[in-house]
Formats: sequence, structure tokens, C-alpha cells
Amino acid sequence: MDAYGLQMGNAEPGSAGPITFGPAGILFVADNTAAKIFAVDVADPGPESGSEPFDLDDVDTRLGSFLGCESGEIAIVDMAVHPLSHHVYLSVQRRRGEAGRAVLIRIDRLDGSIVDVPLANVPMAEATIADAPGPDDQRLDTTLPLGDEGEELTFGDRTIRILRRPIRTSTVTDMAYVDGHLLVAGLSNEEFSSKLRRLPFPFGPDIIDNGLEIFHVSHGKWETASPIRTFVPYNGGRSILASYTCTPLVHFDVDDLTAGTRAIGRTVAELGAANQPLDMVSFVQNGEEHLLVANTAHGLIKVARKDIDDQAPLTEPKAPVGVPRETTDLRGVTRLANMGEAFVLALQSDDEGRAHLRSLKTSSL
Amino acid sequence: MATTSVTWSWSAGVACIRLSGVPPEAEVQVRPRTAPLAGEFPPMAGHLIRHGLDVSFVPRYPFVDGTPYTVSVAGATAAVLVRPSSERTATTTVRTIRPTIGVVPRNLLRIYVTFSAPMSEGWAASCVRLADAAGGTMIGALLPTEHELWDAERRRLTVLLDPARIKRGLPAHLQAGYALRPGGPFRLVIDEGFQDARGLPLAAPAEHCYDVGADERRHVEPADWQLRAPPERTVEPLDVMFDRPLDHALLARCLRVVGPDGEPVAGHIAVGVGERSWRLEPFEAWRRGTHRLMVDPRLEDLAGNSLSRLFDRDLTCPEEAPRAVQPVAVAFRPSGH
Repeated sequence: MDAYGLQMGNAEPGSAGPITFGPAGILFVADNTAAKIFAVDVADPGPESGSEPFDLDDVDTRLGSFLGCESGEIAIVDMAVHPLSHHVYLSVQRRRGEAGRAVLIRIDRLDGSIVDVPLANVPMAEATIADAPGPDDQRLDTTLPLGDEGEELTFGDRTIRILRRPIRTSTVTDMAYVDGHLLVAGLSNEEFSSKLRRLPFPFGPDIIDNGLEIFHVSHGKWETASPIRTFVPYNGGRSILASYTCTPLVHFDVDDLTAGTRAIGRTVAELGAANQPLDMVSFVQNGEEHLLVANTAHGLIKVARKDIDDQAPLTEPKAPVGVPRETTDLRGVTRLANMGEAFVLALQSDDEGRAHLRSLKTSSL
Repeated sequence: MATTSVTWSWSAGVACIRLSGVPPEAEVQVRPRTAPLAGEFPPMAGHLIRHGLDVSFVPRYPFVDGTPYTVSVAGATAAVLVRPSSERTATTTVRTIRPTIGVVPRNLLRIYVTFSAPMSEGWAASCVRLADAAGGTMIGALLPTEHELWDAERRRLTVLLDPARIKRGLPAHLQAGYALRPGGPFRLVIDEGFQDARGLPLAAPAEHCYDVGADERRHVEPADWQLRAPPERTVEPLDVMFDRPLDHALLARCLRVVGPDGEPVAGHIAVGVGERSWRLEPFEAWRRGTHRLMVDPRLEDLAGNSLSRLFDRDLTCPEEAPRAVQPVAVAFRPSGH
């Protein structure tokens, strides 16, 4: 792990955020409380998996049992599958105020057993993704009447108290690792920011926040700065399919995502009003790459890569529009992750609100 | 030997369950009662500490107040204990809802709710809503967020109106239209069920009423502001009056004053009523010479328009094109005596 700059340290997040695997089984863990991303050696016990499916009923009740609370107090924030062992990693928030904990869970693919993955005193590295004040934004001109919080600074012959704790934060909504870079999508809690960050990995000591301004053109006529909500690399990492806070599916060439430029995506599909994409994966079926989109309003939506490549930018504001798609009857899927080439693992809620893990065979999707 | 008693206890400051009369090799497991006892459902994570004939189960994740736990010894239920609910009183309140102005543009983008104490995550979707004049919830008006937008202290929540209803040209806008209707008053409502970081509800619900005005689709333009320059050699405030309400959070960090030497002027900052003005009271007397109010181009109005760009722009309309992204300086001179 030395090759990736990992050192023993604490990678316990203050709140559960997105997770994704990088090289050599390193897991990236977003901490939206501290505005950091940890790279963690999770010491996955292996062994290398074959190509069997994995299903587990009532995963939320199991987590509640393990964590000592009711299943309704468990939020499964994200899911990742170890690329070799296919063990399932869940970023879980155990709610309830002071009893709340962010927990990284590993579910053994072989027997369905549950353990919590240690994140204290483990090989790790970290990158800060806060919109930290720049050198010209020292906020020396600000005092905050919040009692004895903050720190005292002497300015001339006066001592003032300022609060350096950031009130402006960036909440990570999705991450993916592509060719030595971690791509990070986030939402600001203040300006309508549209940054897609590109952090080199191993995390460098110098510049690590390579923010790209992302814009969205709607039907060739309207342009908006647009925060990306969820995205997936495909085409060997050369392309990205992204969705915004307002549902259209948009294609980017990764080569176009260079710092200091305005990136404008090509809208290839809209999924209809009052619908939010939740997660996406790419998979290969009969030698052709496809993308699978979990969303709030419909079953899983399947789109062929060649149809995205062939899709001209949308110009007609009608829904549904854009690339040909198949809508499966798999409803209630909130998270997706590749489980080898043969399966996509889905976290699916049933009509009673119970959550299950289901292996979807890529050949029959 | 039969288990004689199962009770709540403490171990190194952590609530635990203490059992007496447990055979040395018997397996002790604890589960919340909602989890099935039998089968492959995992027991609660924790460890056992032996004290002579007694044994304590110390959980890795703390017991939850008010939750019943089933304790099993060698596979048989030994007891069901309910973790006592605390007698703590709800004290957390909503301190501010911003914007504070009474009339907002139809394309309002964002509302900030500040609480008096740190809050729990996971309640915004169920406890924050827009209600129309008749009290009905305006479904689909707010952006459903999987990831809530909080400040680092978890006291200020950012609530976004669904941008898809505001952005022109999108199906949601074309089919459902703006969530807000001119002349149709609405309220932002925070239900008291919103839990604070202690797991307690709010002491009271809160709401703020707004009327809806016209769309706001202009760049923020500092040239349209009025500055009331203070007299030099005094510590009287600089007042800046805006042509429209601006975003409260961004005002706190997008405006600063530099003196004739280019150094920032330190002082107390206040945002005026209705987010329509900004005041700087300097710690030291104003000096003679040209000062500059530096405006960060990211400063937005209530509809997300900034100095550098409109929230959404018509590509066929040249005056809506993006502008420079450098800070804009507004010069003023403290008046002489």
C-alpha cells in the first residue's frame, strides 16, 4: 500500500457518505461531515470469487440487529462490491442523534455474515474537498456573536473572535475512480455550484482539487450551471454518463474534462418529470456495453452504449425523449454495483419497505 | 445453574447488560426485539466481560433509548429489557428561516433554516415542506435530497426548490410548471418531529410565510447598488443598499472592503432586513482615500443569478451571456469633515 501513499491513521467518517473501490482493493470513503475523502485499505479477507450470484433478504433488518436498533433507523447510503472477492461493502448510517454512527459494513458473499470494517488505525490517506477559504478570503472582517466559540485573533490593538469552522460545505453525492483519478460530484450548501472534482490518486500534497464547471444545455436553447448528482464511467473510462439534479442523462468525453474549462454535456435522454436517477452501472451483454439506471419513478432503465454514441443532442422538449431504452419491471432499486461480469448487485426495497440484495444476471437484464 | 437476573448496568461509562448465573461456556447474545431471534440474523455487535459468576454484554454501538432488547443465553430467551427513555425535554428551536423578506421571486431557488442546536440528519425529507394558502403540502416543490445539505456544525440546513421545475426547457418545468404561483402565498413549514442531535424533537414547529412576485432573471449588478459612505476618521458604518434581496449565506463571504492600502478593513458585518442591505462597522476609523467594496462574482440573488451568470439563460439572448468571473470593485471615499 506504500505505492498509494497510505499510512496508519483514522478514517472514521462523521457521517456515512458515498463509497467506491479504487486500485488494489482500496476503498474511497466520503465523509460529508468533515468534507474529506479517505482512501482505506479495507484488508478484504478474500478469496477471489467465482461467478456465483449472491442474494440476501432483509439486509436492513440484519443491519439493525447487528447495530442494535430498529431497521427503520438504518440508512444504507451507498454500496460497493470488492472487485476480486465480491464481498459487499455498505456505507451505513445508524441514525438517532448522539447514538448515531457512520459504519462501514462488509457482508461476506459466501455465507452472508456481517462484520463492521475497522476504520481506526488502518492504512489510509485523505484528501480535503471543502471549499476552503482562499488566501484572499481570510474573513478577518467577520466576527460572529456565538459566545466563546471560535478562536481569538489579534488585529491591531483589538482582539476579535472568529469562527473558522466552515459554514460553506460541499456534499459528495457520487464518486468513481478512473485511470489514476478519483472523480467526485458534489452539491454546495450555498451557491448553485456545478463542480466535478478530479483528484489525482495517490492524493498529492499540492493541488488536489481540480474543479470543472459543468453546464447543461436544455434542448439547444437554455443553459444552466448544473450540479451532477450521480454518474458512471464507461467506454473503458473514456466517457461518463451523468445525471443532474433535474433528471436528464448527459454524456461527457473524459478528455473534455480538463481544469479551467466549461464542460457542456450532450443531453441524450430525459427520464420524465418527478423522477430522480439514483445510481448507474455499466455492464456487457452479448459483447455490447449497456448502462443500467436506477431511478425513483420507474423500473431499472437499460440503455445501449451505441445508442448513446449515436444520439444527437436533444432539441425537442418532450418526455420521454432521447436514446432508445428498455424499462424493466425491477422497481425499488436504489443502489447498483457490478459483481464481476456475470452479475449486477442491486439493493432493492419491496412494497413493505424491506431492503434486499439481489443479483441480476447481466445476460438476462 | 439457571440465569438468575438480567439487568441494565454500566461498564466504563457505557450502558451494558449484566447477567448473573450464566454457565461459563453458554453463548450470550443480544438483539433488538424487532429482529428475529432464530435463524441467521446476526446478534448485536459487542463483547462479553466476566466478573466472577456474572457476565456483562457491552455493545459496540450504544443501546437506543426506548428500544426493547432480547437477551438470549445458549439460544433461549433469558429476558427482554427495554432501554429506559430519557426524561430530557425538547429545547431546540428554529432560529431563523431565510430569506426573511416577505415577497420572493417565482423562481426562488433556496431557503436556509437555522436551528438553535446541532441536528440529526435524515429528517429533512419528512419534516420540511412547502404548504399552500389552504395548508396543503405542495408536492414536488422541494428537491428530494438523498444527501442533506448542512453546514459543518449541522445547524444550518439548505433547502432547494426543485431546479427542474425552475429550469426552462425541461419536461418537469413544461409539464408541471413553477412550484410557486404569483399571487399565491405559501409557507415553509418545519414540523416539530425534526430531531436534534440528541434525538429529541423540536420544542415547537416553525414556519415562514411568503408571497410570490415576478421572476428574477437579471445578473446581480453592483452598479445598481447604493453606497452610503461614512465620514473619514470615524467608525460609523458603511451601508450598502441592494436593488433586490440577495442570498444571505453568500453575502457573508462574498463582500469585503479594502482600504487605500489594499488591506482588508476589519469590522462587524450585518445583513439588513430582508437581505436588502449590508453594513460594515469598522473596528478602526475610516482613513482618507479611495476604498473599494470587493464583490465576489459568485454572489447570488434569491433565484440563483450571480454577477457572472444567470441561473438559466436563453442562448439566443446576448444580454444573458456569462460575464467575467473576476471580483467587481465598487469604489467609495469616506467623506471629509
